[in-house]
Amino acid sequence: MPTEHATVSKSRKISGIWFIPLLALVLGAYVVIHNWMTQGPSIEIAFKTADGLEEGKTKIKYRNVEMGLVNEVRLNDQLNGVIAKVKMEPQSAPLLLKDTGFWVVTARVGLGNITGLDTLLTGAYIELAPGSDKTEARTFVGLDRPPLTPADAPGLRLKMTSNHASSVSAGDTVLYKGYKVGRVETMTFDPKDKLVHYQIFIDDPYHELVNSNVRFWDISGVSVSTGASGFKVQTGSIETILFGGVTFGVPLGVKEGDPVAKNSTFKLYKSYKAVLENPFRFGTYYVVSFTHTVKGLSPGAPVEFRGIKVGNVVRILFKEGQAEQIDAGHEGEGAPIPVLVYVEPGRMELSDTKASLTIVEETIRLGVGNGLRASMERGNLLTGAQYINIDYYPAAEEADLGTFMQYTTIPTIETGLAQLEEKVTSILDTINALPLADTVATLNQNLVSLQSILDNQSTQELPAHLDQTVQELRAVIGSLSPNSDAAQTLDSSLLSLNRTLANLESLTGTLSRQPSAVIFPSSPEVDPIPEVTAQ
Amino acid sequence: MSDLPATAAKSHLAACHMCLKLAPADVHQCPRCGSAMHLRKHDSLQRTLALLITACLLYIPANLYPIMYTDSLGSAEASTIMGGVVLLINLGSAPVALVIFIFSVMVPSAKLMAMFYLVWSVQRQSPIDRRKRSTLYRITEFVGKWSMVDIFVVTILVALVQLGGLLTIQPGIAALLFAGVVTITMIAAENFDSRLIWDNMEEENSAN
Repeated sequence: MPTEHATVSKSRKISGIWFIPLLALVLGAYVVIHNWMTQGPSIEIAFKTADGLEEGKTKIKYRNVEMGLVNEVRLNDQLNGVIAKVKMEPQSAPLLLKDTGFWVVTARVGLGNITGLDTLLTGAYIELAPGSDKTEARTFVGLDRPPLTPADAPGLRLKMTSNHASSVSAGDTVLYKGYKVGRVETMTFDPKDKLVHYQIFIDDPYHELVNSNVRFWDISGVSVSTGASGFKVQTGSIETILFGGVTFGVPLGVKEGDPVAKNSTFKLYKSYKAVLENPFRFGTYYVVSFTHTVKGLSPGAPVEFRGIKVGNVVRILFKEGQAEQIDAGHEGEGAPIPVLVYVEPGRMELSDTKASLTIVEETIRLGVGNGLRASMERGNLLTGAQYINIDYYPAAEEADLGTFMQYTTIPTIETGLAQLEEKVTSILDTINALPLADTVATLNQNLVSLQSILDNQSTQELPAHLDQTVQELRAVIGSLSPNSDAAQTLDSSLLSLNRTLANLESLTGTLSRQPSAVIFPSSPEVDPIPEVTAQ
Repeated sequence: MSDLPATAAKSHLAACHMCLKLAPADVHQCPRCGSAMHLRKHDSLQRTLALLITACLLYIPANLYPIMYTDSLGSAEASTIMGGVVLLINLGSAPVALVIFIFSVMVPSAKLMAMFYLVWSVQRQSPIDRRKRSTLYRITEFVGKWSMVDIFVVTILVALVQLGGLLTIQPGIAALLFAGVVTITMIAAENFDSRLIWDNMEEENSAN
């Protein structure tokens, strides 16, 4: 039965059952492609330790919404930290900016509060704080502790540097006239520039108080000072006594400045006193070299321009500058002593900006051509404290700005007391040079001879002889008294002498008129008649 | 072997799939129970192969995706099949881990491989070890349903462990996929006609 055989023969057609694996394949492919298309970015976060991080368990959260999962935690290549690889949700892409912060949220007991208690049960998670930078990033450095301010909080973030040990640390408050307006966010020490760097945040309405002329100073703890008026104790709020704090304000006599950009850098002063001593932010360094003594010139001594303080002496650069001076050929002839000074334009009623700094530099550069010179003057005759005076000396020898190490030098001149002192010194030198010792020796010798003369027998008899002589003289004088014979004889002799002299006078008169009268008798005198003589 | 009695197929007799009644092969309906009758299962190899491939495709995500979510005090933790096994070993429950490993990982994959081997050997009409292959098929068919143990564990846990915020267990997508793998391999085994293993032997015999 051929027809029956045809019915039972194996069919070669493709069974409809293949639709099932095809469907599974299509669905699988769809899932894979969909997953691949909607895959979130993969990022790496570097942490110091893997504390609380668990592969496949630790989540990334932003505003408590899951944003990703840590899928690998490993040591970094230097083996000094860990890198957490995180698979992020596609939604998170716009949050992953260059300055986005990541930190591990665990239970934390702070001075003022306890946070993250929920993580005790659920385990740690990584919190994300989106940054404000425009550039995207995929590798991040995790923060050690949560930023104290939410990333998008309104306000102003500033930087502060300090070169002194202070008790200000991260988390401390920033006060303005005693009112809390912000906080210190981070504190790091940079061994390169040897400065402590702070990041502070001023909350929204108060950031307008910050301008380019405000100064920040430390009000941590208690400051005790003693003076003529007794003890003086200064403190901030209780909080600042316990935990430290920073305050700011415009120093006395300084104008309000311009608004500042975010992340501007300010200097942290040690105290308000330090602010008053040094209220300006911009200044420039100069070097002045003196060939005479710098005794009495101490760091902090004023630099004045015609009596107006324009800066301070920073220090004497003797040690640092030695190599340079030897290069300059001063070796062996008594190198001049370089003194580093700091000049601040703010002190000259100029605005405390970089622009005025250039004005000052330019003025000094031009001024030196017109005789601007620095000199050292005695500020206090009692203590011998010196200061540096800058003035115009049109008669000064021509000089130019020089350089010393990395600083510009202002030519110096010797004036006033320094000059006077030199003259006095030279006079004293002359006096010193006199052969006083020899003179005194000779004198001594003479005195000895004199003594021997005085000691002589005949010298000692001299007064007796003198006495005798005086007595004899007195007897002679006594014999010449008006009533004595000698005196009367002398009187009459004088009278006859007078008469003789009168006769002699008439004779000399005749002789002067008529010298011949001695030989020829003279004619009787005729009264002169004017007519006759007129002939 | 030539002394073997003639087979049903040789005698143009087919067995009903349902009630196993022997009837002439050209009768397309069982004269006793009325179900469709074929000499051999219809498209047996193709169907088995297609279902095996489907099961393979499902087996991949079933292992990659979490089979179960443990939500304990707010921290949800997903566990895959292998992850669960590793977790159990780490927790010291090696016997339980072994059971789950055998029935959830070893058995399904062994079954898939065995079925592929059977389909392949029948397709090329291999004459080797027919008896052993037959035994393999029987074991496969028997053991296959035990793979559902894992699914039962998950379903029972999901049903029982609902302690509110303290501890909650929820099934994952892999549970569904895994159940699919087990079911589809069972259907595949069902669709495989073990008689095909012996068919060409008789041809060989008859050729002899």
